[in-house]
Amino acid sequence: MNTFLQVLTNGIMLGSLFAIVAVGLTLIFGIVKVVNFAHGEFLMVGMYLTYVLTTWMGIHPFATVILVAPALFLLGAVTQRFLIQPLMSADDDHIQIFATVGLSTALINLALLVFGADIASTPASGLRTPLQLGPVRLLSGQVAILVASIAVVVVLQLFLSRTQTGRAIRAVAQNRAAAQLMGINVNWIYILTFGIGAACVGVASVLIAPLYPTSSGIGTYFVLTAFVVVVLGGLGSIGGAFAGAMIIGLIDSFAGFYIGSDLREVAVFGVFLLILILKPSGLFSSRLNLSHVSP
Amino acid sequence: MTDISTTSPRSQAASNGWMLKAIPLAAILASLVLIPVIVGNQFVYHIFITICIFAALSTAWNIVGGFAGQLSLGHAIFYGIGAYTGVILMNMGISPWIGMFAGAAIAVLAAVIISYPCFRLHGPFFALATIAFLEVFRVLALHWRELTGGATGLMIPLQIGWEWMVFRDRLPQLLIAFGLLLLTLAVAWWIRSHRIGFYLVATRERESAALAAGVGTVRVRLAAVAVSAALTAFVGTFHAMYLTFIEPAAMFSLQMSIQIAMFALIGGLGTVFGPLLGAVLLVPISELARAWLGAHALGLHGFVYGVVLMLVVLFMPNGLMGLISRFTKQRRERGVLAGTIAASAATPDARQRAPIGADVMRVEHLQKHFGGLHVTNDVGFTLREGEILGLIGPNGAGKTTVFNMISGFLKPDSGSVTVRAADGSWQSPTTPGDFATIGVGRTFQIVQPFAAMTVEENIMVGAFHRYSDVEEAREVARETAERMGLGPWLDAEARGLTIGGLKRLEVARVMAMKPRILLLDEVMAGINQTDVRRAIDLMKSIRDSGVSIVAIEHVMQAVMSLSDRVIVLNSGKIIAQGEPREVVKDPVVVEAYLGKEFIDAQA
Amino acid sequence: MLRLENIHAGYGPTTILHDISLTVEAGEVVTIVGANGAGKTTTLRTIAGLIRPTAGTITFEGEDVTRLSSHEMVDRGITLIPEGRQLFPDMTVQENLLMGAYRKAARQHKDAALQEVLSLFPRVRERLTQKAGSLSGGEQQMVAIARGMMARPKLLMFDEPSLGLAPIIVTQVFDVIETIVKTGATVLIVEQNVFHTLKAADRGYVLENGEIVLADTSDALLHNDHVRQAYLGI
Repeated sequence: MNTFLQVLTNGIMLGSLFAIVAVGLTLIFGIVKVVNFAHGEFLMVGMYLTYVLTTWMGIHPFATVILVAPALFLLGAVTQRFLIQPLMSADDDHIQIFATVGLSTALINLALLVFGADIASTPASGLRTPLQLGPVRLLSGQVAILVASIAVVVVLQLFLSRTQTGRAIRAVAQNRAAAQLMGINVNWIYILTFGIGAACVGVASVLIAPLYPTSSGIGTYFVLTAFVVVVLGGLGSIGGAFAGAMIIGLIDSFAGFYIGSDLREVAVFGVFLLILILKPSGLFSSRLNLSHVSP
Repeated sequence: MTDISTTSPRSQAASNGWMLKAIPLAAILASLVLIPVIVGNQFVYHIFITICIFAALSTAWNIVGGFAGQLSLGHAIFYGIGAYTGVILMNMGISPWIGMFAGAAIAVLAAVIISYPCFRLHGPFFALATIAFLEVFRVLALHWRELTGGATGLMIPLQIGWEWMVFRDRLPQLLIAFGLLLLTLAVAWWIRSHRIGFYLVATRERESAALAAGVGTVRVRLAAVAVSAALTAFVGTFHAMYLTFIEPAAMFSLQMSIQIAMFALIGGLGTVFGPLLGAVLLVPISELARAWLGAHALGLHGFVYGVVLMLVVLFMPNGLMGLISRFTKQRRERGVLAGTIAASAATPDARQRAPIGADVMRVEHLQKHFGGLHVTNDVGFTLREGEILGLIGPNGAGKTTVFNMISGFLKPDSGSVTVRAADGSWQSPTTPGDFATIGVGRTFQIVQPFAAMTVEENIMVGAFHRYSDVEEAREVARETAERMGLGPWLDAEARGLTIGGLKRLEVARVMAMKPRILLLDEVMAGINQTDVRRAIDLMKSIRDSGVSIVAIEHVMQAVMSLSDRVIVLNSGKIIAQGEPREVVKDPVVVEAYLGKEFIDAQA
Repeated sequence: MLRLENIHAGYGPTTILHDISLTVEAGEVVTIVGANGAGKTTTLRTIAGLIRPTAGTITFEGEDVTRLSSHEMVDRGITLIPEGRQLFPDMTVQENLLMGAYRKAARQHKDAALQEVLSLFPRVRERLTQKAGSLSGGEQQMVAIARGMMARPKLLMFDEPSLGLAPIIVTQVFDVIETIVKTGATVLIVEQNVFHTLKAADRGYVLENGEIVLADTSDALLHNDHVRQAYLGI
């Protein structure tokens, strides 16, 4: 029973980790309608920034968020403005895919050039301290991720539903042409959204960096799972992404324990492929948005 | 009258274009073998072998990613399968020459199983699914240690000689790599210049229009995937022999998949020789960077690749081949201009009109709901041989929905559509393919050209329905184009046509299928008066050749002068039918179009 | 108030409008009549700044606005109520209306505008908290019009307001438009329901194949032989 609780807790912790990475991805997905294949590399950039700021300046990893999140916002905004926006009207969606794949390749290799192949360890700063909560053990850093992922989801939802800018973002996603007629500057909304999505990854990276070693390939590791989460939760659904992340976290944790740790990914991607093929609208979306699927 | 003036400069220009491509191509291919042989340096050999391998992989990928437009980022699966099958069998004492085919067979099987469910997914989602499959293969390769050696990888046994595909010399390796490259290029060229290639591109450009033209879209894409997977596996087997050591991280690698696709994009997506060009230009960058800068340059070539990819996407999305064809096209257009002067109008046949014959299509009690909306309510009618039936009604009356149900694009909730086949039997087709086979052709209200294909190629896609030979289909396409007044634009890309031209192209494509029943959805909307008059003549000539026509039309002039009978649809229901002159006087019809106040005002 | 001079416009390489010139004076109701594909929608979209004309000039209240983008046109006081309603389906009716007052200038008086609009459309008030996508076609059209009025536009353009609506609803929509006209609004309207619109309008233009072939008062057009034959079917 205790083992079960421990595996369950691990799953939830892993889920919140996936959630905080996936939230920005689903936002960009849902609003800009672009699949950002470089999302994982944004995370990597954020983690390296955290590493550099903590080791060179000696500040607490969490404090770096005031620099890392804006930096990532800028990275996202620039990506949208100069890479995606010129391609928005391309009738061939290959072009957009290749654009972000190119960005991802360039960023991975840039990291290799700058930091080499060795891993970079951000100081733990007490975040790897185990806590004993009844029968289960977990790290304080994991709890921070859980709290932060919930906070990010709630803040984003409030922003989108309560503010005029947030409503404008939703309006653009639901009917781009009508949004333009309302006087919404659609290009600017896209830049803003991409920036916010990337800033969310910035928040994720300062939380993850103290717990996981940073390397040029870390983005690929997380982003594939994040894609699974986003498809599972329904494209563009922030709440859905959170729920999807929890499910994937639990599958990962239980599959790792009961099937074998080396087959965890097979279970996760198996679920992904099943969802993609059988219920492409995701598990939690009420309205069908199947522009990516033939009838 | 136009034969000489249009075709001769065109074919001359075409042969010029062909020469312009053939000479540099032969030069590139020859230099791939000659340069290393002349230089004789081991490292140069290595670079050129690597170029051949990547060019072959990329060419094979392009059959799926380029021709068929299915952006696979999981092609390393087939490469890895080829490599592992070859090495595992070799360890069991079986020659890689046999292992190659075993690997290809497994790869084809995997490709078909993976692709079939994924074809429903578009663009990024297809790409994501292929990445996920790739990850699954990589993890499984790590997991089945007894078979694959797991993370430690597999070495090939030290057996040297042609029968083992392993050599001390570089030359035989270069020759095999070059041979594989030639094979993939030949296969890609064959596909692109035969019916299946046209079908693949048509499916990529507009799936619905391809379906209407009778293309088995799933079948042709599966064929493309299978061929591509087999070729990729061949190269995988050879590459494993060349590398002498394989491991899951290198064989089933996403970076590898991306690189293969990248060369094709940079060279020119969907062109036969673009991937070769991409590999020739980019492979040396990575190999030289690795050799000269060693560990300092870790990541340098990848960084360059990524930046080049972004720049290409932004500034020359058609790749290097796009640049080249822009250059050759300028020469060609001079030839086309000569043809435009002699633009021919549609020439109606002077044949006598055949009498209206027996029923050829029966539509009974069609019902269709979308959500709570009753869009088709008990619609039924018959179409007789050689008749023009006008289908009119206000916007949103459900005309196109009816069309979709009588061409297989939409399944009615209830009711039936039966069609008399050429042999006289009555059949109930259900899919667009069934309808095309039985002789029902349709156009789309919103024109659906295969934008990247020329006018001639667009019409050929229709002609292939009856003629599988390329030259025959081309002949039919040219005849049809002349008849539709599209003769001068045969070599123009469809995306460059005016609305009037696109409407005619839409009809031409269907006519090339030689249908017995023609469904025309607003072919006259948005075209000018001259074109309307031409279109009316054209429809008469089509009718006179014995084809039965159902036409949705808003241009009243056309409806009145063409239709033998008219059906008026309003809110999904037939509210009137009969002779056109009678129907437009019907108060119910006038009210539907103009509102009740109009009647009151007239009274 | 609005003046188009020799406008050419289209999508990509395709030119749809050839040399269009038309004017709308303050307080007028003007209609553009024409067959499907004649370029009516393109004309409205060009005025709204969604399409850049390739030649010609557009002036609004004496200023050249030819090169302005859609959000700048909204700021000038031009609102287009698009064909097919184009609501934000997953937003509530209230949120849809608030989007109508998105621009900074309109935002200041959005509460007052909301009250004004709701007094014009009592039916919309009952639906405020419902998702726009769940409304019937007629209700959606009312919301679309109400949303267009939230910015207190000087020129209101309607594109096919009766499209796909049942005849009884069409009459209601026209009643609403007439009410708006009575408040003194300037209106440019495109409709396939030619008779209805000509009855409601002061003047009309007939558009064929992207060119204006006739321009006259509504009464004259209603009695014009060409119009009667081509669009009224008599």
